[in-house]
Amino acid sequence: MKERVTYILSRVLELMITLLLVSLLTFAAFSIIPGDTARTILGPSASPEQVEALREKMGLNDPLLFRYLSWLKGAFTGDLGNSTSFNQPVSSLIISRLPVTFGLSFLSLCLVLVISYPSAVISSRRPGKFWDQVFSVFGHVSFAIPPFVLSLVSVLIASKLFGYFAVGKYASPSKDFGQYIYCLLLPAFCVAVPKIAMTFKFLRASILTEKSNDYVRTSKSRGLSDIKIMFRHILPNSNVSVITALSIVLSDLLGGSLIVEQVFNLPGLGRLLIQAIGRRDFPLLSGIVFYLAAMMVIVYFAADVLMNMCDPRLRKNRGDSL
Amino acid sequence: MRNKKISPYYIVGGILFSIIVIACILGLLGVGPDPEKTSASSKLLAPSASHLMGTDNMGRDLFARVLAASKYTLFISFAGVSVALVLGTVAGMLAGYFGGIWDRMIMLLGNSIMCFPGILLALVAVSVSGPSLFNVIWALGLVFAPTFARVYRTEVIKIKGRDYILHAKILGVNPIRIMAVHIFPNAFAQIIPAIVIGLANMTLSESAMSYLGLGVQPPKASYGKILSDAQSYITAAPWLVIFPSLMLVIYILGLYFISEGIRGDK
Repeated sequence: MKERVTYILSRVLELMITLLLVSLLTFAAFSIIPGDTARTILGPSASPEQVEALREKMGLNDPLLFRYLSWLKGAFTGDLGNSTSFNQPVSSLIISRLPVTFGLSFLSLCLVLVISYPSAVISSRRPGKFWDQVFSVFGHVSFAIPPFVLSLVSVLIASKLFGYFAVGKYASPSKDFGQYIYCLLLPAFCVAVPKIAMTFKFLRASILTEKSNDYVRTSKSRGLSDIKIMFRHILPNSNVSVITALSIVLSDLLGGSLIVEQVFNLPGLGRLLIQAIGRRDFPLLSGIVFYLAAMMVIVYFAADVLMNMCDPRLRKNRGDSL
Repeated sequence: MRNKKISPYYIVGGILFSIIVIACILGLLGVGPDPEKTSASSKLLAPSASHLMGTDNMGRDLFARVLAASKYTLFISFAGVSVALVLGTVAGMLAGYFGGIWDRMIMLLGNSIMCFPGILLALVAVSVSGPSLFNVIWALGLVFAPTFARVYRTEVIKIKGRDYILHAKILGVNPIRIMAVHIFPNAFAQIIPAIVIGLANMTLSESAMSYLGLGVQPPKASYGKILSDAQSYITAAPWLVIFPSLMLVIYILGLYFISEGIRGDK
């Protein structure tokens, strides 16, 4: 029990440090701007008085460390000030775009799980045989298709087959939930395809390793059916190693969603990000970047803790688990 | 001794990869029309004998643009991976060799960089410092460095315990020399698959950045930029989407197959 408490404590400490580092990286990325930030935001046509007013408003005249600390305080209390181009609080802008990006990532994660698990189970039943070969070839090819390219091609196919507006117009989930899911389905599929291949590959390898263990042979000689061995013994054990892979997949799905939103014209965080970049809206930009990264830090942390709860063996050599 | 049978992965991967290399060489030699020359009379022409892949909305020859784009794609992926490799090697070796606080600090920094989903960090770095070929390369190199650092760290920890390293230490060889002369060459073999996969992932990221308008800047051609321009004409001129997509997939698939071949050899 004591061991578990120290483990959780050391992990939480590491979580804190990582969050701090992520915030530092985000802040640093915005502090390396060559020249005057206020001037960059306002453009060359602004008068010196305007620039000076903005500098004062954004706190640019304060020392760097002070600016970082006040930004950090804002980031953790959810108050990053106003966006310079939308004239709205950064946090409310981000929250209004969350349904699209999170919906897209969640839906594609569901697709990844629903497709990769059955195909990995079928594939690993008879490795090297017909179905394994078919799935593996599919896996290789889909691994190499960038999500935004797949999106463009599927928009092309959809428009040729069903007319231009087949892709569907976005509706907010509170208004029309059916339409919301419908319009996210194709983008989610495009984001998911390469990651389905990745999860499939990982899961297949993991199942095959488990299969060669003694306990599988013992279960077989006890007369258990293949299906029962697979679902009762092999899959739960393979899941442990898949948890980490899935947390990385989730990060890639999120990153992919940001770009694919652009192709399908979905009003999500990705679009907001591109608008913020285009308008050089640094408060908004730093907010989006920090919150997305902070979310991934927490996901990785959760995956790590979950894995340790599933597999007590990992706790012994946690020293080099970094 | 009989020659070992070459894995089919190498053959397929090699063929796909050489398609892009040939395209790149043709692009460098300047075969075909000028990729940046616009023409009002030949807008959105379908593929034909005079325009092998058709023309775009500004009358530019798509075949010439694809050749030119392959040049930048190859260059950025190799240059970006080199930057990542140098940074990752140094960081990974320091972390693996010295261990302790060095290891913790370097790996924490690497993990924090990896927490930014996808190309978010590179996107921000480029948008802040201004989109240019140079900025794209160092931003992507920085984002990819932790991957290499991890592989190197694991390898160095493995090699560090071997007798010949111990021997060198006893002889009082300078740690930098041990790392550079004794550990680095032995660890390098393990990093080759990571390099090949890194090239593929670098291309994926670069094309996505160019698609978003933050990679290779017009009038220079890049697959991502051609595709984002093509989006408005997707029904009228599908070839504008099909050919660049195909080239991009060929390059990445070729690299994946080569990396599969290397893994199969082990």
